[in-house]
Amino acid sequence: MEKLHFNFDTTDAIKKPVHVGVVASGDLEVIFRPTDKKTEVNIVTGSDGFKEVWSNVLKRFFDRYPIQANIEINDFGSTPGVVNLRLTQALEALNDEK
Amino acid sequence: MMKNSFVELHARQRALSLLDENSARELVGPLDDMISPHLEPQNIVPESDDGIVLMKGTIEGKNVLIVSIEGKFQGGGIGEVSGAKIVAALEKALEDNQASKTIYPILVLDTGGVRLQEANYGLLSISEIQNVVIALKKYVPVIGLVPGRVGSFGGMSITASILSYLIATNKARIALNGPEVIEQEAGVREFDSSDKNLIWNTLGTKQRLATGLVDEVVDDTVDDVKASLVNEIETRKDAHRTENVDFYLSLLDKLDLSKKLDIETYDDLFKQVETVKHEIPEAETSFKEGTKSRGRVWFEAMTGIKNATSSVSTVLHAQKDGKEYVAIVPDAENDFPRVRDGEVGLQEGFAVASVINKVVAEDKEKDVKRPIILIVDVPSQAYGYQEELIGIHVALGSSAAAYAKARQAGHPVIDFIPGDAVSGGFLAHGLQSNRMIALDDDSITVQAMSKASAARITQRTIPELEEATKHVPAMAYDIDNYEKLGALYKLVKGIGSWETTDENVATINSIIDEAISGLNGDTTLHFRYETPIAKASGRKATLKVRQLVAEQW
Repeated sequence: MEKLHFNFDTTDAIKKPVHVGVVASGDLEVIFRPTDKKTEVNIVTGSDGFKEVWSNVLKRFFDRYPIQANIEINDFGSTPGVVNLRLTQALEALNDEK
Repeated sequence: MMKNSFVELHARQRALSLLDENSARELVGPLDDMISPHLEPQNIVPESDDGIVLMKGTIEGKNVLIVSIEGKFQGGGIGEVSGAKIVAALEKALEDNQASKTIYPILVLDTGGVRLQEANYGLLSISEIQNVVIALKKYVPVIGLVPGRVGSFGGMSITASILSYLIATNKARIALNGPEVIEQEAGVREFDSSDKNLIWNTLGTKQRLATGLVDEVVDDTVDDVKASLVNEIETRKDAHRTENVDFYLSLLDKLDLSKKLDIETYDDLFKQVETVKHEIPEAETSFKEGTKSRGRVWFEAMTGIKNATSSVSTVLHAQKDGKEYVAIVPDAENDFPRVRDGEVGLQEGFAVASVINKVVAEDKEKDVKRPIILIVDVPSQAYGYQEELIGIHVALGSSAAAYAKARQAGHPVIDFIPGDAVSGGFLAHGLQSNRMIALDDDSITVQAMSKASAARITQRTIPELEEATKHVPAMAYDIDNYEKLGALYKLVKGIGSWETTDENVATINSIIDEAISGLNGDTTLHFRYETPIAKASGRKATLKVRQLVAEQW
């Protein structure tokens, strides 16, 4: 298990919290919470040694969607593709519901 | 038309798929930050809902509480937070039903049982779930749904046996011990865990339906599952699965123990057996010494019965000074090979249930109910193929249910623990008590699984497991660490497990009397999280969960 922490300079404040996913084998859960501070991403992952990969996946995500949020991720060995999918789903959940 | 699979859904989606549209409200959900405090210290990734989804809502207009276990997170194992969520929500449902606000509890079981990384909390919680299920059944059916893929195993299979009505799909299995654990404990000849056909034919729901261990097998679609639930809410059927003690004791009498039981033979026996009333008489003095154990020496010392013997050689009970003493003991010559070291097997579970049910029936009209004293020295449940085929989880469920009913009827149920208190054995004989008194002796093991099995299942080496348990009381194997959870009424110093002198017996008896007089009508299991140790450290997360559930209910 490894804990990772990232900060991003983003601008689009989110208005409500959302949760998607399950900490299943090869999967993860993602929680977005509104914040008025800097965007913070806190990750607990079962696969050690992938800090750079996480950094790249997150950077690409925030480049495209500069949301300002407090983000928590619990990961049980997902591939970068799955991570990106769950982040996008969380984003959809933000926009979907009223 | 496309059919929507129920099994393929996650726990939260399962709950939502059953509830009327826009009726669902989740309690203590992922945003409430109630994660397990015990996983990260063991280098395990936690989940924000700890694998339990509690959802209130309606099904065809009727109020329900759905407790949905996420089988994909840590195998659906029950730890402190997850267990407390279930117990707290079911207790609120009980309060509502008692106040004539009918709410139907539905448990979606997809669980390996106790979460081994939080084993001691898991065992405590599971006994508390069983207790509140028994209480709820006086008002509403408590409905179980076992969709698969995990199925329902371990302590939660015992819970499943106690539920009013069990609906399953053919993708589920139900058993106390998984085949891997049986293979680990009893050898590959007992149960070959690589033989998938044998496993499914034995533990699969088709076989379970044929022998009354589930009540209905439905196709794996959301619509079929929901239709069965709706029907059960309307018809309120109850299988009374843990009340067939005489049937099972009669069945066991007819079992040919000289050869390995196979499915066909068992199915025939199941159909043919004639139920004969069984009574387990009080233990008597004999000339032959029984197999020595801590449980036996204390039973004999406390009741004054030398070389105690009984018609079921492993179950001793007797009345002394107005108290009923019950012990499960080893018998090196027992016909059932898997209980020779004192494990709790089929006969033990059903026989103890028979004893306790009789005590409750005899005292039914009395104002003051006889205290029941459990002498606890149970190294585990029995690990065996025929045990699983017949349904050892029902045997253990029968005794757990009997003790819970006795306590709820007003009998003080007190544990005296001079020996081991492990796993399913402890759930069947010990964990339904109001107060636990243990000796502070190094020889005592309290746990959910042997180190060898726990290491195998959690994919660690035994040294790694030992290293992990040292720092986490939730996983400890010794009574001193167990005390840190706060569940004990008293840890008695200075008396060894074998030291049954008259003076020591008198000391223990006075502690038992003090515990009984301190009950003041308490028939619950709440004492465990109300002790100073529990409040200060041992059950902090439990108490937080209970508070949140109460606030959000």
